[in-house]
Amino acid sequence: MQPQWLLLVAVFVIATCGLIYELVAGTLASYLLGDSITQFSTIIGVYLFSMGIGSFLSKYFNTGLLRWFIKIELLVGLVGGFSAAVLFLVFPLAATFRVVLYGFVSITGILVGLEIPLLMRILKDRVEFKDLVSRVFTFDYIGALLASLLFPLLLVPHLGLIRTSLFFGMMNIAVGWYLAHYFKAEIRNSKALKISSIVILLAEVVAFAFAEKIMTYSETLTYNDNVVYAVSSPYQRIVVTRNRREMRLFLNGNLQFSSADEYRYHEALVHPAMAGVINPQKVLVLGGGDGLAVREVLKYPSVQTVTLVDLDRTMTELFKNQEVLKSINQGSFSNPKVTVINGDAFSWLKANQQLFDVVIVDFPDPSNFSIGKLYSTAFYNLLSKSLAPQGVAVIQSTSPFVAPKSFWCIDETIHSAGLHTMPFHNYVPSFGEWGYILAMHKTDYALGALPAGLKYFNPKTFEQMLDFPQDMRAHQTLAINKLNNQALVTYFEEEWNNYLGQ
Amino acid sequence: MQACVRSPKKISGKIVGASSDIGHLLRDKDFTKPTSIEDKEVVIIGGGISGLSAARELFRNNIHDFTILELEKEVGGNAAIGHNEISAYPWGAHYVPLPNNDLKEYLDFLEESGAITGYNPAGLPIYNEFYLCFDPQERLYINGKWQEGLVPHFGVPANDVLQIKTFLKLMDDYRQAKGTDEKDAFSIPINNSSKDEQFTILDSITMQQWMQEQKLTSTYLQWFVNYSTRDDFGTTCDKISAWTGIHYFAARKGKGANAEHHDTLTWPAGNGWLVQQLKQSFTPQIQNNCLAVSVEEQDQHVLVTYLDVPTNQIKAYRTKQCLMAVPQFIAARMLHDTPRAEKVKANLHYTPWAVANLKLKAPEERSGLALCWDNVMYESKSLGYVNATHQLLDQKVPVRNYTWYLPLTDNDPVSERKLAQKKTHEDWVKLIINDLKIVHPDIEAVVENIDVQVWGHAMAQPLPGIAHGNVRHELAASINNRIHFAHTDLAGISIFEEAFYQGLNAAKTILQNLI
Repeated sequence: MQPQWLLLVAVFVIATCGLIYELVAGTLASYLLGDSITQFSTIIGVYLFSMGIGSFLSKYFNTGLLRWFIKIELLVGLVGGFSAAVLFLVFPLAATFRVVLYGFVSITGILVGLEIPLLMRILKDRVEFKDLVSRVFTFDYIGALLASLLFPLLLVPHLGLIRTSLFFGMMNIAVGWYLAHYFKAEIRNSKALKISSIVILLAEVVAFAFAEKIMTYSETLTYNDNVVYAVSSPYQRIVVTRNRREMRLFLNGNLQFSSADEYRYHEALVHPAMAGVINPQKVLVLGGGDGLAVREVLKYPSVQTVTLVDLDRTMTELFKNQEVLKSINQGSFSNPKVTVINGDAFSWLKANQQLFDVVIVDFPDPSNFSIGKLYSTAFYNLLSKSLAPQGVAVIQSTSPFVAPKSFWCIDETIHSAGLHTMPFHNYVPSFGEWGYILAMHKTDYALGALPAGLKYFNPKTFEQMLDFPQDMRAHQTLAINKLNNQALVTYFEEEWNNYLGQ
Repeated sequence: MQACVRSPKKISGKIVGASSDIGHLLRDKDFTKPTSIEDKEVVIIGGGISGLSAARELFRNNIHDFTILELEKEVGGNAAIGHNEISAYPWGAHYVPLPNNDLKEYLDFLEESGAITGYNPAGLPIYNEFYLCFDPQERLYINGKWQEGLVPHFGVPANDVLQIKTFLKLMDDYRQAKGTDEKDAFSIPINNSSKDEQFTILDSITMQQWMQEQKLTSTYLQWFVNYSTRDDFGTTCDKISAWTGIHYFAARKGKGANAEHHDTLTWPAGNGWLVQQLKQSFTPQIQNNCLAVSVEEQDQHVLVTYLDVPTNQIKAYRTKQCLMAVPQFIAARMLHDTPRAEKVKANLHYTPWAVANLKLKAPEERSGLALCWDNVMYESKSLGYVNATHQLLDQKVPVRNYTWYLPLTDNDPVSERKLAQKKTHEDWVKLIINDLKIVHPDIEAVVENIDVQVWGHAMAQPLPGIAHGNVRHELAASINNRIHFAHTDLAGISIFEEAFYQGLNAAKTILQNLI
């Protein structure tokens, strides 16, 4: 093959690979950061700008241009090839992620921007100028179309992002090696170049084989622990991690409990309600598929039946059968008094005809319109109908410190269903300040006798929990959360976004 | 490398209706004399909302000796429904706006049905929370994002935003306006509106002309108004009467204890739920699969001849009072009334619609607001889709029913009707997939079934002159106090409230005549 055509093919490969790395960066950024319009826009901008820098820097290269061209080919293959893997690993370190992302895009852009000017100068004496200009740019731009078609249709669905960038990295290296081989007569120390390309190529082949492990490892870093169990149910991704001190449960990446301090949450959730009723017999738990609230409920001998309604069968089965998890909830799901129903709580409550002495409502936080329905006037009206005249219900109401408007909105909404409320809060190290609301028909609430063996909750502690300082109050009138006008989700999103600084 | 052509996945489903084969017999076939004649006090032809409302009123007033002759397998008219293992879903009318507070009989019906659970101390109705449309209600895909609400605002230039604001203020002014006759300028039923010239003159121009006069030229606003008039009335804003176009916005003034005038009542079955409520006391009186073929006066009676489709027999009823609750172009044929047919042909133009139900798993979503009840795309010719499973309480609904709507308004109704008749199921599927692909790129992979319903003559267009001209009243006049008419054709606009009152008023007339 004529030397100039080989170099033009090299341009084609670099251009294709260059666009692929840009697409990988954009896709990864959208995937991990969201808001694809902004991500793609800024990445394209930064990439092209960096190409400009590269073209500017080309004037400082004066000798050994062909050797430099090959080195650039190898560098692009190295940097671009590993870009996706590195970005996945770096992502949990939230603050530095953007720096690394734009760093990769810039470096790749600069390297790619160097190539055309260098190539033009390499070939300037071998090809007539007008043909040179035409051919170089043709091969450069045509590569882009190939990349943009292959990427979404073939590469991402079949290889995934990490493997795609490694694959093209390997192609860049292969071309670099071949150029070093073909032009060995014209360049100094081609052997060194060939050796370095083999080394990089091998590193990328190994990474290609272990791509899956990289993804799993990055998931581990996100959790900071060893993942001991991970399963995707039809409803959520359930991950259990462990370190020397504790075990932790994550649902869709959100922490549900830590075995080290979950008693603070569950004692606060259950005992004010249970001890607020004389001899509670029939108990209803909505949510709470980890069996921990039921563990607390069963400490009362007067209890005859506990009905638990949780959507996720995978979760309740896990917490019923798995050895370690069973030990945390003390086998609560295997107790003959307990009936576990896997179904939708709202639909179940609508059909329910029974009255319960205690109702424990332990739902996920109202972060979207779907869950928000479970915090509506319609829901609390149904709850009211299912609560015995002397009964007490308790509702997990998110953090009154982070989201006071959300917390007090729930309180107002419960009021509008005609129930009296007693809000209280406590500190759970894993979550921070957390809030709960007791709801009842009666007006003469009194905290009765508590079971023995509680680690934390007692009448003195409860008194403190009932007091809300100024920074846990809403300081404005709040809308009621209704099915046809879900004010709560808006408050919740706003307050948590403020808190997380987004 | 293999060729990049993927063979399109064959999507199951069929064209399920309406029953044009049977309906067209009325046009094409000559019928023989009836094999049997039965006596009935009242015969109602047509089981749409008008017919059902009339039947309900008769029944409540102890007239039980009546029958309803309905062409289709089920009553409901434009509020027809389908259902599968996921949920019920609408084939046509899918919601009612919050009722105006002066419609006492309608509010009573809603209270009977459980849609109103009581009244607050101020006298405002408390609506059943499970029937008010759940948040989030509507979203619009515009400039690359799903925005909340259908009034365009995302990525819309400041000048257009201003014009939209001006327009909505004008609509609000009209909402409050009253005439010198103390009547609301824009009321439901239309016949209760003020007759002042300053308002009725709007019935002589089109909505587009009116908007141009007001210097409301924004393309975003034009799109929004056009979408609205196509959605309720099947008519584009360059054809619809300005009075009726404004009526769409200004006649909605309902207030509830727990809802505002922009709220809606809806069910998975759409208005099919209301059909169930209307008909529950007189189901034995309903005769489905019957095509009425002729209505003629005989001495002091009316002879209604009909084809019982399953048995293919021609039968007849001899009755004292006949209510024709069918579109006027059909009534004209049944009556063999050529002058009526000509008048209808000249004045009433019926828009054809295509409605599809998609059964699908959760598709990929673009950025912006999550799935709502009503989902509309700015660039599209269709009206987007309604999620029939939106009103279900369940947290997770892995398979959904989306009802997709397209009024065929590109050309005149006659041409569009002919084109629609020729389309196969595959043609419709292709059209629908291409429409939805923009917002759900993986739609082909997740859709399991698409059924299609083609409404040949869904509703009469409220062109200039319909609302305040004389045609409606001329066509609505009873014949010799024996043959009466009730239908939204005669009301001016095709909405539930009008049909409800058409039926109610006709029943009242009939009750008077039976004394």
